[in-house]
Order: sequence, then C-alpha cells, then structure tokens
Amino acid sequence: MKKISHWLVEFSTQKPLWVYALLLLIAVGAGSQIPRIQIDTDPENMLSEEHPSRVFHNQTKRDFAMHDAIVVGVVNDGKNGVYTQAALSDIHALTDDILAIDGVIDADVMSVSTVDNISQEGAGTIRFEWMMPRPPASEQEALQIRENIERLPLFYDTLVSKNNQAAAIYVPIADKNESYRIAEEIRASTLTLTGNNTWYITGLPVAEDQFGFEMFVQMGISAPLAGLTIFILLFLFFRNLPLITAPMVVAMATVIVTMGLLIGFGFTVHIMSSMIAIFLMPIAVVDSVHILSEFSDRYKPGESASKTITKVVEHLFTPMLYTSVTSSIGFFSLMLTPIPPVQIFGAYVGFGILFAFAVTITFIPAYISRMSDTALTKLQATLHEGNSEGSRVARIARGLGHIANHYRGALLVTFGAIFVVSVWGITQIQINDNPVRWFKSDHEIRVADRVLNDNFAGTYNAYLVLSDERDMPTVDALLSDTTAPDSLDVWLDSVKESVSEQPRNERIQALIMAIDDKLFEVDSDEEIAYLDTIMAKADAAQSSMKTFQSPEILAYIERMQDYLNTTGKVGKSNSLADVVKVVNRELRSGEQEDYQLPGSSAAVAQTLLQYQSSHRPNDLWHFVTPDYRSSLIWLQLTSGDNQDMTEVVSLVETYIDSNPLPEGLSADWAGKAYLNVVWQDNMVAGMLDSLMSAFVIVFIMMVLLFRSLIYGVLAMLPLTITITFIYGLIGIVGKDYDMPIAVLSALTLGLSVDFAIHFLERARATFRDTGDVMKTMNEMFAEPASAITRNALVIALGFTPLLFAPLVPYITVGIFLASIMAISALVTLLVLPATMTLLRRWVFVPSK
Amino acid sequence: MTTFKRTLLPSLSAALLLGQTAIAQDVDVNALIQEAEKAAYYAGDDGRADARMLIVDAQGRKQMRQFTILRKDVEDNGDQKMMVFFSRPTDVKDTVFRVEKHASNDVDDDRWLYLPALDLVKRISAGDKRTSFVGSHFFYEDVSGRAVAQDNFTLQDETDEKYILKATPKQPESVEFDHYIVHIDKATSLPVLIDFFKADGSNYRRVETVSVEDVQGFPTVLRSKVSDLESGGYTLMEFRNTRYNIDLPDDVFSERSLRTPPLKWIQ
Repeated sequence: MKKISHWLVEFSTQKPLWVYALLLLIAVGAGSQIPRIQIDTDPENMLSEEHPSRVFHNQTKRDFAMHDAIVVGVVNDGKNGVYTQAALSDIHALTDDILAIDGVIDADVMSVSTVDNISQEGAGTIRFEWMMPRPPASEQEALQIRENIERLPLFYDTLVSKNNQAAAIYVPIADKNESYRIAEEIRASTLTLTGNNTWYITGLPVAEDQFGFEMFVQMGISAPLAGLTIFILLFLFFRNLPLITAPMVVAMATVIVTMGLLIGFGFTVHIMSSMIAIFLMPIAVVDSVHILSEFSDRYKPGESASKTITKVVEHLFTPMLYTSVTSSIGFFSLMLTPIPPVQIFGAYVGFGILFAFAVTITFIPAYISRMSDTALTKLQATLHEGNSEGSRVARIARGLGHIANHYRGALLVTFGAIFVVSVWGITQIQINDNPVRWFKSDHEIRVADRVLNDNFAGTYNAYLVLSDERDMPTVDALLSDTTAPDSLDVWLDSVKESVSEQPRNERIQALIMAIDDKLFEVDSDEEIAYLDTIMAKADAAQSSMKTFQSPEILAYIERMQDYLNTTGKVGKSNSLADVVKVVNRELRSGEQEDYQLPGSSAAVAQTLLQYQSSHRPNDLWHFVTPDYRSSLIWLQLTSGDNQDMTEVVSLVETYIDSNPLPEGLSADWAGKAYLNVVWQDNMVAGMLDSLMSAFVIVFIMMVLLFRSLIYGVLAMLPLTITITFIYGLIGIVGKDYDMPIAVLSALTLGLSVDFAIHFLERARATFRDTGDVMKTMNEMFAEPASAITRNALVIALGFTPLLFAPLVPYITVGIFLASIMAISALVTLLVLPATMTLLRRWVFVPSK
Repeated sequence: MTTFKRTLLPSLSAALLLGQTAIAQDVDVNALIQEAEKAAYYAGDDGRADARMLIVDAQGRKQMRQFTILRKDVEDNGDQKMMVFFSRPTDVKDTVFRVEKHASNDVDDDRWLYLPALDLVKRISAGDKRTSFVGSHFFYEDVSGRAVAQDNFTLQDETDEKYILKATPKQPESVEFDHYIVHIDKATSLPVLIDFFKADGSNYRRVETVSVEDVQGFPTVLRSKVSDLESGGYTLMEFRNTRYNIDLPDDVFSERSLRTPPLKWIQ
C-alpha cells in the first residue's frame, strides 16, 4: 500500500504536467458526453421495466386503451358555477382548440362538448346526441346541460363537480414528451377566452414536464452555488487563492467525469442523479482539506515543497483511503435497493468518491510541486500569523473539549436518554410519499391539484382490474366429439391451422366465421348438418367466454363499488356496471327505479350494443376488453398519498376476503397511484437492506483499520446515535418518511464515520506519544478537533444551497444532510472522548 | 432550363385551366351524384343482403357482427324502408333496427329498435345519424345512405375511370367533417372512395369499396371498408346472398316484424 502511494506521489511531483494532461484528457473525454444528457422524470422508472407491477400497469394501459392525460380544470364560483352560457361557451371554444392541437388523441378527449347525452324524449323514445354540440344559446340551455350531466353518473363529479363550480377537460396525448408544447398551446388558448373563469392545467404529463424543468434549474443553480460555498469556506480556512484552486479543480473534475460517464453510458438523469454534483463537490474536497491543512502545518520556507507534500500524502494515505472507501460503501450499498434510479445514483457517487480520492493524491501533490516559492512563502505567512477564522474554529473546538472532558457522566446519560427516545421515535415513523408534493406548496401544479381535488371526486386514478383466468374452450376440444363428413376433412385441417394463427381469445370467433363462410359453399345435407352442429357449439362457447357480460359478475362489481363508496377513501368509482345501468335505465323508463342491471347476459350485451351506438363507441373499451374477459374499475381518489392508496388496497383486500371473487376471477391493481406504493414498499425494504449491509461492512472495515474490536465499536458509536436521533426526530415530529429521507440513511452512514475515523486515529497516535489519557484528550481538542470541525463545516454548508432548490426533495436532502453532518461531528467530539475516558482500561492500552 | 420553364409553364397551366373549364361545362354534377346515389342505395325496387362486419380496433383486436338487411324503396332517390336483423354474436341475436328513411332534408328519419332480451321496442329520436353503427367504424348514415341533398358538390377532377367530387355540407354544424372528397367510378356509377377531412385539411376517415360484382345486372358492393385514419382501426363489411327485386311485402317493414322476424326473408 505504502509503496503504491509512494510511487504515485513521487510520479506526481516529478511529472506534474503528465498528471495535468491525464486529468485533462479524462475530464474532456467524459465531459464531451454531457451534452447528450437526457432527463427522466417518469416516476414509473422508480421500478425496473420488468417489475411485475409495472408490466401489469402497462398491459392494463394497452388493454383498456388508456393514455396519459393533461387535465384542464376551470373554476367559476358564481351562483350557477360553470353552468352559465359564458362558461360553457368558453369550455366549448377551448375544447375545439384542443381538438385542433397535434398530438391530442381527439377520440378520447373528455369534455362537456365531446361526450354524448342519452335521454328520454317523450314516452318510449330514447335520444342519443352530443351533450353540447354548440355553445348554449341561453342561460336556460346552460341549465339544461346541468340537468343532463347530473343524470349521468359517469360524468357527474368527473366532468363537472357536484358543487357545479368546476369543470374538467381530460386531454389524452399520444406522446408525453409533447406535453409541454400541448400544455402551452392550451394555456395560450385559455388567454383568449372572455368568460370570467379561472383555468388550471395539470395532470401527470404536465407535472413530469415541470419536474424535468425544475431539475435543470436545480442543477443550474444549486450545484454552482455549492461550488461557491465551498470556495468561500476554503478561502476562509486557507486565505490563499492559488492554494484553494487545487481542491476546486479536484471537485470540478470529479463532477464532470462522473456525470460524463453516467450520461456516456446511456443512463438518464433522474431526480436522484441530478443531485450527484452537489453530493460529490463537498465530499471531493474533504481529502484535500486534510492534505492542505497538514501541508501548511509542516511546510517550512526553504524546504522542498515536493518532499513535504510526499510525506504528508504518505502519512494521510491510509486514513484517507479508509474514509473514501467507507463513504463510497455507503453509496454503493444503495445498489441493493431495487429502485433503478437509486442504484445508479449510488453507483456513480460511490465511483465519484473513489475517483476524487485518486485525483486528490495525485493532482494535489502535482499542483503543490509546481507552486512558486513566493506563493508558498505567502501561504506560510498568512497561516502562521494566526488568522481570526482559524482561531474561531479552534475556540469552538476547545469549548467542546471542555464540555466533553468535564461533563462525561451528564453527556453519556443525556445521549443515552436521547438514544432511547429516538428509538421510540423511529417506531412512530409514518411511511408516506406523493410525487405531487415534491413540488412546493405554492407551485402551480400543487395549486391546481388542490383546487381540482377540492371540487371533484378526485384526480388521482387507481385501476382495479378483474380478469377471468380460466382456460378458454379450445377449437380442438370443440370439434373433437362430432364426426365430420370425409368431404370436409381437407377444409377442417386448413381451418384448424388458420384459426390457430389467431390470438387465443379470438379463435372461436374465427372458427365461427370460417364455418359461416363454408355454409355458403356447401349443399350436401350431411355437410350442412355437420356445419350447423359445430356452429351451434361454437356459438355457445363464444357466449360462455364473455365473462363480464354476466349480470352476476357485474353485480359483484356493483356491490364492491357500493362498499368502496362508503369507506370515505374513494371519491368515486366507475365501472362497466355503471355503464350498463345507465343505458338500461334510459332504454326502459329513464326513471331511477330502472337504474339497475338487467337480468341476463344477452340483455347486458344488447344494452352495450346500444351504448356503442354513440359518437364514442370506443369508450366501452376503457372498462372492458373486447373479449369481455377483463374489466376495469376506475377509482378516483382525492389524495395521491401512498398511505391513502395503501389503505384503499387493503380495504379491497378485506372486501375480497369476506366476499370472495366470482370463481375463476383474479384482481390486480394498476395506475400510477398504485405504482408509487409499490416502489415505496420496495424502497423501504431495500433501504433497510442497504443500511444494514453498509453498517456491517463499515464496522468490519473499522475493526480491520484499527485492528481492534473496541475501536471498531467506538467508530460506529457516533453515527449510530446520530442516525437514530435524526430518524427518531422524523418519527416524533411527524414528517413523512419519503423518498429522499429513505435514500439518505445508508449514505450518511458512510459519510459520518469519517469524523470518528480521524478522531480515533489521532487519539490513539497521541496516546502513543503522551501515554496519558487526560493529556491525549486535551491535545485532541487542539488541532485535530479543529480539522474535524472544519471538515464538518465544509460538508454541512456545502449541502445548504439545496435549500434554495425549487423542489421539495432537494430541500429535504439539504436540511437532512447538513444537520446529520453537523450533529455527527458534534456527537463525535462529545461522545467519543467521554466514552473513551470511561472505558480507558480497554481503550488506552499502554504500548508494550 | 430557364427558357424551358418559361415557355412550358404558362402553356401547361393554360391547358389545366382550359381542362377544368371543359369539365365544368361538360359534366352535370347533379345528374352524376343522383346516379351515384341510386347505384349505391337504390338498386332495384327492393333487396336483401346478409352482412358480416369485422371490427378491428387500433390494436388489431377483432369483433364480429352479423346481420341481414332488407330494403324497399318508396321511390328512387327518395324515401326508403329498411330492416336490420342481427344474428351474431348470439347474445344480440334477434335485435332489430327498423328505419324509415326520408330523403327530404326537413324530415328526420324514423328509427325503431327491438331488444329481445329486454323485451323492449324503443323509438330512437333522430338526433344524429353520424353515430357509430353498433360499435363499428360505420355510421348509421353509411348504412342507410347520406342523402345527396345534404351536401353541395363540385367536380374536382376527372380521370378515365373516375369523377372526383368535393362535397361540402349544407348544415356544417350537424356533421363532424369539414368536407369530403368522393371518387365515383364511371363504369358502375358507384362511389368507390370517400375521404373525409377536418377543417385543418387532415384526412381522418375513409370509406372505400373493396370489391364490386354484378348481381342481377346491378353493380353491387360485396366488400367495403371504413377506416379511422387517426387510430388505425377499421371495419370490414362483407355482403353475401344479395338479391334484388324480390317483392318484399310492406308488412315486413312493420313494427310487428320487430318481435316476429319474417324468417322467410332473412334466412
């Protein structure tokens, strides 16, 4: 080890230009990839593409022809709400504009002016027509539309709110990458409207788009700001511009190379990886701070800078290597979490830390060896005249030392009590997240979200998909027990073959068509009789396959919906049963008493045949697949909180437990609100894994580093107290345990152990020199405690620019990391000396 | 090159211009569309056909509907009676539509519906005829025929085989299209291709004749197709057992036939 470090530093000080050239080459090479950056804002990507829940979600989207939709909301708090001539005219005009926008799936746009009304027109007459084919000509007509909407459960509280004050236009789009352009075109259209309405534009694609934009803002502002903060701190510490340029170069190179590689290897930049720069910058300069501190201590004017720096680096090599490795282990442990963006983040920051270490021990010596004698002399002069900032840090350190050395008992009791309370606090943690709340509370997306969910049954969608999993009748089985006339053998073989090329659920239908075709050609009685027989069987089989035409099964769906509506967790649910009931009512009397399911499968089929005779025949396929073997219940939730979705899932589970699904049916969930729950569960479980494994690995490394079990335990002590305290506090304060909080647990472990390593290493070395516990402790609070405080400040303050970021998760990360760094430094400086003194019999073993 | 252009272009456009004037003078557009309407919807005095529709959605999922159409003209290019008896899928078997088509723009068609499983006869208020025919890409109006009186026609072009006309609706607010372009086959007078356009000029819907055969001296469409050009879905309709001038009695087109189908004519 020493040999490698020696060789490296020798080489760097003797051939500094080579080091420069190599670093430049790597940075330019990797940096050239950065313009290929691709932002990824899809929360779905929190799950891998092959994750069963995600696969099912996307299959459901395909099966039921669903698209991501922009939601346009309009609010009017006048007496008649949106049911005024002016407001409805605006909705009509805006809908027309929306239909003219490229990339909008016109057929599926849901607006008062694009849906059908079914109504009674006198006795025995049913009328199908557009709900609002033209803007209402009078206030009277506007109120008539209200009456019509209120009769149609699928629209009431979905298209227009129950309080009349809000209406919605759902705009499905073909490609969500187009959402920004389409949303902007819609926004431009709303500006031309004359009515006195307030318009809101939201929906997942818009939110994702905004998110991507804010991510760029974050990277563009917070990262440079972090660089600036670190630069100022370094300047306050060292007062020497040429000198502190070196660590800044290390930080920049690390960030450029890491991001360049990430992008170059084709990974997208997700919310996690957008924070890589701000994580790496403070971590990357920490080693440099150690080297520069010690260099400026040891360097005497007139000496060879190269020789001094070689000694310094060799001396610091092992602790720096260990702190870098432990930090990177904290990040690498994130790769155990089954969340791809978190894995990539962990892998690249882990790499970045090791890269920064490599650059530090080569570039810094190379840089210092090339510093002019005058610059070095000036550095000496500044540092040795005792600058005020240095002494302030030193004063703080000495103050801490006083407390640590004089109030041992009180300290340990206090921290013990805090620890116990914190453990209780952890049990109080609420696991919850909601990607919409990643925006700040006053963000337009949050505002629109609030307004629309206050008015409507809910804009968060979850889909409960019921499917018939039983085997379908096969063509072979169907044909097997009837003997075909020989004359039809050839035909039968070719039919079997052509039918087998069809999708499984369409084979019987294909057989029926083939038999039907053949019936036109044949004229022997025997052939006709045979064809009629198998046709009857095929017809029966075909009907029996259509599970969701069965009134009993629709009644089950109806009962489940009734139950869900009583839970208070579901704003509204929509299903095939609702469609059938509405059409049945209108076909019969139009009165409430006929709002019920008809009695037979054929009646359901005939009702739906009417429903499809509308302007929007394909609306049916959002609730059932054309083979009638899979059906979807659409739940509208007013909250996108994972907790609420989780509760809905368990309510449905309970319901199914006590009211078993009809035979052969299975139930499964789709929808983004559900996917969020899935990845959150993965995250929580995965985080526990990575925290535990990081803890064990770091502990083993500590035992190896110090070649002592007790030192290993001591090294883990401050971070254990700190992490427990922080998470306990989260539990007690009631802050949701969400994505950023979860991710940070493992990685803070790797970062905060650094302080303990330096403290223990120096304490042991000092004790070896002094042989006296009290003396050791006093000396520890001179230079070593100052260095630790200095580094704690660099890391903690380095993260604070995140507080100015536009998105909540960044702010959370900023607060969380800054406080965990500050607290763990504090705990290290207070608890370690107290414990070490208490356990001195085992800790300070005099050298033999 | 330049000289070539200079001399050729004016003469070419002059020729085109002359050509157009010539067409406009030679062809009686009104007679043309009357003839086309007659060929497409009024062949013989009455007729029957077994129809089978295959509805294919944007994802290629297929559904079949089978029915028999009986038709009797009150007068050519005028009023008409029509019955549609469903036979498949079996769960909608014996569902019947009865239509009394009125050619005049001022009189709405009369439509009735019989749903056997609900034991229900219902009159359908005219409302709008450009709604889906039982979930297919055909509209009711494609089945019963859009009266030519509803649109203004102008001749766009003429080839050896076809006349190409542009139709604009007289009541634009009653339809979803801005205009359509119809290709009329000179040999059969049948419209063989109709492209519907939105106001922005996009062609979103196509009705086409896939195959035509002579039945009893009448050129008869055996297969036609309606495509939703935006989603990619389409419906294929096949006609078989087409016969004309079969002397369908008037009582076949009565309300009584809804509940008791005239088996003689539909099998």
